[in-house]
Amino acid sequence: MKFVRLFLPPPQWRVPVIVLAGILVGLGLYTLRISNAVSYFSDRSETCMNCHVMAPQFASWQHSSHARFTICNDCHVPHDNVLRKYLFKAQDGLRHSTVFTLRQEPQVIHVKEAGIAVIQENCIRCHLHLVEQTTAVEVSGANYAHGRGKLCWQCHRETPHGRVNSLASVPHARVPRLSRVVPKWIEDFVHRQPTSK
Amino acid sequence: MKSIIQIVQEKPWVGWLLFVLTVVVVFFIGLLASTIVERRGEERAMFRLLKPIADWEPRNEVWGENFPREYQTYLATSDTVFRSKYNGSATVDMLEQYPSLVVLWAGYAFSRDFNQARGHYYAVKDVRFTLRTGVPQPATCWTCKSTDVPRVMNEKGVAEFYKGKWADLGSEIVNPIGCQDCHDNKTMNLRITRPALIEAYERQGKKVQDATLQEMRSLVCAQCHVEYYFKGKEEKYLTFPWDDGMTVDGMEEYYDNVEHVDFVHALSRTPILKAQHPDFELYRTGIHAERGVSCADCHMPYRSEGGVKFTDHHIRSPLNNLANACQVCHREEQGTLVKNVYDRQDKIVDVRGRVEEALVKAHVEAKAAWDAGAAEDEMKPILRLIRHAQWRWDYVAASHGGSFHAPLECARILGTAMEKVQEARLLLSQVLTRRGVKWPVAMPDLSTREKAQAFIGLDMNKAREEKRKFIDTVIPEWDRAAKEREGKMGDAYVR
Repeated sequence: MKFVRLFLPPPQWRVPVIVLAGILVGLGLYTLRISNAVSYFSDRSETCMNCHVMAPQFASWQHSSHARFTICNDCHVPHDNVLRKYLFKAQDGLRHSTVFTLRQEPQVIHVKEAGIAVIQENCIRCHLHLVEQTTAVEVSGANYAHGRGKLCWQCHRETPHGRVNSLASVPHARVPRLSRVVPKWIEDFVHRQPTSK
Repeated sequence: MKSIIQIVQEKPWVGWLLFVLTVVVVFFIGLLASTIVERRGEERAMFRLLKPIADWEPRNEVWGENFPREYQTYLATSDTVFRSKYNGSATVDMLEQYPSLVVLWAGYAFSRDFNQARGHYYAVKDVRFTLRTGVPQPATCWTCKSTDVPRVMNEKGVAEFYKGKWADLGSEIVNPIGCQDCHDNKTMNLRITRPALIEAYERQGKKVQDATLQEMRSLVCAQCHVEYYFKGKEEKYLTFPWDDGMTVDGMEEYYDNVEHVDFVHALSRTPILKAQHPDFELYRTGIHAERGVSCADCHMPYRSEGGVKFTDHHIRSPLNNLANACQVCHREEQGTLVKNVYDRQDKIVDVRGRVEEALVKAHVEAKAAWDAGAAEDEMKPILRLIRHAQWRWDYVAASHGGSFHAPLECARILGTAMEKVQEARLLLSQVLTRRGVKWPVAMPDLSTREKAQAFIGLDMNKAREEKRKFIDTVIPEWDRAAKEREGKMGDAYVR
């Protein structure tokens, strides 16, 4: 309490200080709101579309065979325990948002070392029955970093995003955005309201 | 310990330091917020149309200026070379190939002319040239043929559009199926432009607006590739018969309840239901739909050109594009995959042919029964069986690719069709025997289209001559009027 009291303003300043603190907190909340911050706790692939530079990744995933069974997080965050999952998500997310905010994203986005380890882990997590009889099951991010073994996608190069990758690679991809799918006049008509032009 | 007030009182610079620190914090939070907003806006700005497209612009070439890759691949739907075992994009005279169809559709325009459909590019052309439009048709027939339809519907109103005559809109409907049928002109997002689908969804208590992007990639096709009918003698209101379910049984029940009849059969006097093309409904019962695969996934897969990936707008049979359509998921060799498709088609076509044969016999036998003086009540249950059997046969026969989309459901439907038609024939044999007519009834020679058409009494020469006259006189007039209007549209519609 002593520590708190240290920062208490004199009584005649209280009201302005409360207002100022409110402004500061409000500004913070506004930032959370416009950045869709809450969506980052979800597992939806649409969340990754909060940054438009991810559109090529979304579009190529959506047109791949993996789209039927996986979402972004299935491959790109660890799944062995919840703590590690959210720790990794937080680390990765903060790095991404920093790079994006500072406009430092490269024209062609490559996965980094930590991401490689997680993806490789997840390939094996689902496809274990395909590799358990072979040495491929031993390949991990750490092993690979030491030159032992090849990563799955060094041979399966089209899986799932394909080899053509750059921010400009899908100029017209329709990645999910919340918007009207029905023209207004048809909506009006169906609901028997006067037609507007 | 002193409170901050005392500290500031003693050393005023601490107060200033606090002030500056707060300014810095607020400044950076504000900056962060503004860059987030900015980058959000960028997302919209990234998608810029070089040449904005006006609302309800029907001309695909105008849209194509903004999207050369999509447009060029769309133009490839003009290909008429590809032929698979049973389908493809070539013109195939189906009546020539299956002359019994002439008898099954006796009394209906389909007995005059029925070709295997070509690509979207030919939608308007083919409907102009078919002999089926030689008889008066309602304007509703245009609904699925052209990008001009949403434009005219928007101007005239939907019900008004349907009410008109087909020939009256000839100069309005000139651009074939294309861009604006599925895309929003500003965002290029998928959209539904045909009211019938939205209305059918609403009647089922569903909302098209709630569809995900993946669902939309099938629903834009389901605007047309579905079973439908024209409701009302005058209204001719395009309606999907889905209220009692989207299955063959549900739709049969629906049609029976509203007592819908497409035509009365010229030989057997059966109140026939003509199935259109329940492609979407059959696809929904198949394994690909069950696994969340959309129409576009196989019929418009991704394709890359240099450093760019885009949706191939050459909408076609996946058999013509196996690598991109099938092998994204299936690792088998091309030959194996083709065999897998043909195996399914072969089996369904086999049963379909058997039902077809039995149906022809039933119609001819029913005619013999009428000729022998059969009574209305005697024939009523028989005609009901024939109605249902032919509906079920047609449901499979008319669907594009149904035998691959949903082989199991097709086999079930054909099985029930066979059961019904044979039951009808059993009853017919009793009627005929009671009247002393010898069984089996003699069957006509249906080895060619001409023989079949002569058997049902169609004067094809007259039909062809009328069509020729129509093509030579009316169509040039439509095109001239359309050109004049679109020339004007150039100023009004393109900014």
